[in-house]
Amino acid sequence: MVNELLQNDVRNIWQDQKVEAVQLSVQEIRQRAGHFAKQTGRRNLREYIGVVFAVLVFGFYILWFPNFTVRLGASLTIAGALYVAYQLHRRGSTRNLPENCGSESCLDFHRRELERQRDALRSIWSWYLGPLIPGPMVLIIGGGFAKRPPWHGRAWIGAVVSAVLFSLVFLAIARFNRIAARRLQRQIDDLEECSKAKVRDAW
Amino acid sequence: MPAGTSRQDALYEEAANGFGAALSRLARAYEADADKRRDLSQEIHLALWRSFEKFDGRCSMRTWVYRVAHNVATSHIIRQRHAKMPAMVSLEELENLADKNAMKINSDQRQTLDRLMALIQSLKPLDRQVIVSYLEGLDAAAIGEITGISAGNVATKIYRIKGILARRFHEGGHCGE
Repeated sequence: MVNELLQNDVRNIWQDQKVEAVQLSVQEIRQRAGHFAKQTGRRNLREYIGVVFAVLVFGFYILWFPNFTVRLGASLTIAGALYVAYQLHRRGSTRNLPENCGSESCLDFHRRELERQRDALRSIWSWYLGPLIPGPMVLIIGGGFAKRPPWHGRAWIGAVVSAVLFSLVFLAIARFNRIAARRLQRQIDDLEECSKAKVRDAW
Repeated sequence: MPAGTSRQDALYEEAANGFGAALSRLARAYEADADKRRDLSQEIHLALWRSFEKFDGRCSMRTWVYRVAHNVATSHIIRQRHAKMPAMVSLEELENLADKNAMKINSDQRQTLDRLMALIQSLKPLDRQVIVSYLEGLDAAAIGEITGISAGNVATKIYRIKGILARRFHEGGHCGE
């Protein structure tokens, strides 16, 4: 009895709290929807500008540097940047909530969101890190060799050291992402347990 | 104006009028920062209006509204995971955490609410959905329909919630300080 009174008191305190009510007319909602679409458009534009900048800079390398390895590195960098931009655009468009998110239970929605993020993190080598490696690698090593050939000592050692450091940075990024993916998997496992309990109850 | 759009607008207005205050409370359960909370509330309203384009009446409007709101708010939490957020716990973990300072519930409502809010904001999304729905006065069947967890699981979670609340708050006059 005492416990029931307490529960009612806590519920009353919760329901009677003063909140800043959001009063948006349909007109304002429509304006905000339009504003949101513009924001998304601006975000996409920023990505495209970054890609155009990369294409211009490395396109200059291709046109002005006679060295084959530098041209090859610049071409690979452009290709990598274009591929990553396409992937970011494709994956970014799913950041917006689906219109039918009311027909999906919170459990299913939450699990799907976590799975989407986990998959993006797990596959980061194939769609983000991997495509960005060959171009700069060829530029670093090719640039070092262009200054002085391998049999002439120090220049190429500097290039190899730079390449190793570059690889270590990418390996560290990949490792952080693997750890984050494992953390998400633990959350997904917890939600799976809830789903299994639902099935067991149904039987 | 097309018929579908006017239907969508009418459904949104009905939902905003009927559940506006509940949606603001829900946003408060998910976001402690006032500015971010305002943004989250607006995001919920926008998602709600958009969602009504696909509302087919297969579930009640209440279930639909709460699902959209919780899903938007959960997305908000997932997006914020890189920010400095305290670790979230489950009801089971919270149940095992000792809390020696049980609060007299009628003493200071503001303080009680702050404490209740801190408790809710420390929970993982699924448990947060259950406790918020429980505090809004929804029954186990409705909570199950919104969250997607079984009635038995909801009942267990509500039992735990009651135990946690009883340990952290007590009636003035019934228990000694």
